[in-house]
Amino acid sequence: MQAPSRDSVVYPYFMPARHIVLVSAIALLGACARPQIGGIPPGGGPSPSPSEACLLSTGDVSTHSSTITIGLTDAVNPRHAPTPRTDGERLVFRHLYETPVRIDCDGHVQPELAEKWVRDDDGRRWTFQLRDGAQFWDGAPVTARDIVFGRSGAGYTLGALEARAVTVTLAKPRDEVPPVLGDVGLAVTKAAPDTSWPIGTGRYWATSATTTPQEIRAHTSSGDTLVFRFAAGGDARDLLDAGVDLLVTRDRALRDYAATLKNFTVVALPWDRTYVFVTPEAGGTRFDGLEQAVRAEARRPEGSSWWLDLRPCGMGGQSSPPASTGQRRILYNRADPTARELAARLAALSHAVATARGPDDLGDAVEAGKDWGYVVALPRIAADPCRAAKDLLPAWSATITALIDTRPTAIVRRGVARWTVDQDGTVHLAP
Amino acid sequence: MKVRTRLLISFGVVVLVPLLVFGLGIRMEMARRVTGEYQRRVDALVAVINADLARETDRVAARLAALRSSLRDDNAFRAGVRGGDSGYVLDYATNAMRLAGLNFLQIQDDEGRVVSSGHFRNEFGRLGPAVPPGGPALVRAATAEGPFLVLVTSDSVSIPRKPFRLVGGVAIDSSFLQRLARDPELGVALRLPHDSAAPDSGKLVVGELTLPYVDAVDGPGTVEQAHLVVTRSSALLTALQRNVNLWFAAAVLVAALAALLLAGWLSTRISTPIEARIAIGDLARQVNHDLKNGLAPLRNVFRHLTQVARDKPDELPQVFTERQGTVESSIDYLETLAANYAKLSPQSERKATDVNAVVRETIGGGGGGSSWVKAKLADGLPVVTIDALVLRRVIENLVSNAVDSLEGKNGTVMITTERGHGLVRIAVSDTGRGMTKGELDRAFDDFYTTKDGGTGLGLSIVRRLVIDSHGSLNVETEPGKGSRFVVELPAQ
Repeated sequence: MQAPSRDSVVYPYFMPARHIVLVSAIALLGACARPQIGGIPPGGGPSPSPSEACLLSTGDVSTHSSTITIGLTDAVNPRHAPTPRTDGERLVFRHLYETPVRIDCDGHVQPELAEKWVRDDDGRRWTFQLRDGAQFWDGAPVTARDIVFGRSGAGYTLGALEARAVTVTLAKPRDEVPPVLGDVGLAVTKAAPDTSWPIGTGRYWATSATTTPQEIRAHTSSGDTLVFRFAAGGDARDLLDAGVDLLVTRDRALRDYAATLKNFTVVALPWDRTYVFVTPEAGGTRFDGLEQAVRAEARRPEGSSWWLDLRPCGMGGQSSPPASTGQRRILYNRADPTARELAARLAALSHAVATARGPDDLGDAVEAGKDWGYVVALPRIAADPCRAAKDLLPAWSATITALIDTRPTAIVRRGVARWTVDQDGTVHLAP
Repeated sequence: MKVRTRLLISFGVVVLVPLLVFGLGIRMEMARRVTGEYQRRVDALVAVINADLARETDRVAARLAALRSSLRDDNAFRAGVRGGDSGYVLDYATNAMRLAGLNFLQIQDDEGRVVSSGHFRNEFGRLGPAVPPGGPALVRAATAEGPFLVLVTSDSVSIPRKPFRLVGGVAIDSSFLQRLARDPELGVALRLPHDSAAPDSGKLVVGELTLPYVDAVDGPGTVEQAHLVVTRSSALLTALQRNVNLWFAAAVLVAALAALLLAGWLSTRISTPIEARIAIGDLARQVNHDLKNGLAPLRNVFRHLTQVARDKPDELPQVFTERQGTVESSIDYLETLAANYAKLSPQSERKATDVNAVVRETIGGGGGGSSWVKAKLADGLPVVTIDALVLRRVIENLVSNAVDSLEGKNGTVMITTERGHGLVRIAVSDTGRGMTKGELDRAFDDFYTTKDGGTGLGLSIVRRLVIDSHGSLNVETEPGKGSRFVVELPAQ
């Protein structure tokens, strides 16, 4: 693929349509060859490898590379695992930890820890069977109890039917597989002896011994290695120049630089994030020109918003907003440049003051609700909206105004590895 | 009020008033000089600050001129303002500000709206500060995190035929103000319009200069006046004044004490003879009055008798008889008066007197009865012609003085008697403080004394009594070793 010039950048999305047709046909044949699971209604079992449609178009991969290097532009804190708070953590944790299922870029449920599932009780109860040989990094087998223990949420209840069978009982019956088991909150881990990386079930494992301030090394039992390398000095272009195989960024300038490099393909990923303005004030305000205010790729918010009606989660409107303090302050996450730029623009438009907070402090501040407003980044699609709302939004009655949608860009070295993307925009090595 | 008190007050006033005037004068002069010196330094600092601000403004203006040139040549910016890549235009000022070393940079369109902002990228579309053209101005500018102060100047550029204004500046923060205040004892502070902060009570404003000021936090604002004030800490002058006052008070106190002691000493020296003369004057006036009272009837009787003798000589015996009682009465009055005054000065009764007996009597009782007093009396002394009481007063006075001269220390007072050629010699010697030549010269003066509470009449009376008794009085003395008084009386 010829490197596009700056003025005519072409960002190939996913696999070209002809490849998708070919791969889908092969997958369909493969699915037909699988034994049917009794009682599975149409659409109830694993899809016939629809994830092939979510492969990034990065050229043919002819040889297997035992070491793959991924560049990181964000900090990664093992203590946050398995729930990511930054794009960097999302990328790393996705390779180390598994959820019972995952949702691919098309919204199809794909096997992960659970390899198959059946629907009972007219879609009110679903039973997921764990894959054979599922085990933690230390060799301990994964049981249903490891998944369900303390994990039920709003609208569903988890149960351990057998040692390797998990049941999901829904408040409302569904015809399609409930996506809640794809929520990162259900990633299976257990505490590590050295209080570093929790012990996961993914193919790659990492420990404190493989983690340095410069990089994180994750290994497989077969000798493959993933190297997550941090940008030295904060300039991610150095990573590209040093030859990483994948870099995910929201920085348009970095994207434009990567487009000038011969061996890389620049792929626009799904719109995965919506920035909202959360305020105790009633009414809401329309803000224009916000796409210009940020350096990330942005657009006006589109599509339905899962946070608009949180009453099924028992949230929203059940308590009065707290009294706002005198100064009009807009708080944002210090580690998020897009949030900073949005807060600055809102401050300029409303004669307020933008104030940075650490990710944890911002969560506490939102919960307290004593400031005039907060810029909060929300996932556009949440497998478990109630859990996401509980983690990211306040319990008090807030006015939530969508500001912009953003999406990241994957910069991929051609011909090194096959990469796929999930519905939440997370890129990872294709199985 | 006593003479001594009046003298004391007078001396005090004479010493203290000039001292106070002198001290206050020094204090005022010092304050004037210190203030003058400060003012010279302040004036110099204000001139330096003016020069610094002008230099800083020139630097900013030079950078804006370079930016203007660069902006004119920038095709991407030109395309951006004509509807092209707006992101480039928005980011232009951020990069340009960093490269130019400025803290504030805005590119405004012809309406004054921000097209690109270096210090606050996302304030595009807002109205920029209404900075007066040319010259420096102080701007309270907005950023996302809050306002900050900048010293700005402006320039203009047309792209292609559309006018744009460049407003650039440097931050005015505490470090900037510290750099302006080169004098460590002086400070520079800003006073902005509508500044509600109370001025520091410990700082005195000693100089100021004004700058145009625009508060552009919530809009373009209007041009007002800000004051760059030079302050100095009042602590230094306060400490100086406190020290001066302290030393001044100490000087006044010491001087007052010295003045009081001096006044006390002088008043004692002066007031004692004055009071004595006043007492003698009073006595003389009383004697004069009494004599006139006694003489007036005599003069009247005499005039009457003279008149009768001239006009009616035959009646003179009868009138004399009639007035004889008046004359005798007046004479009796005068005699009584004389007797009364005579009592003030006892009459001596000169007769043969045994000196040794009087000495023994004197030592045995009264002031001479001290254990320090010794006697060495010669046997077979001839008698002398003197009133025994007078002799006793002489010896008592001499012995008393001798004992006093010991001043409570160990020592002896010796009385000796001996026969001379046709005379008897009585000597009173002591081992006391003795007298200087000056003291000896005045020792026999009336009212001269070296003792607290002394009358200064003792030796004067002794000399008079000895001379009245046809004797003589000699003194041998040496300071620190003692004195020897020798009385010689003619033997009978």
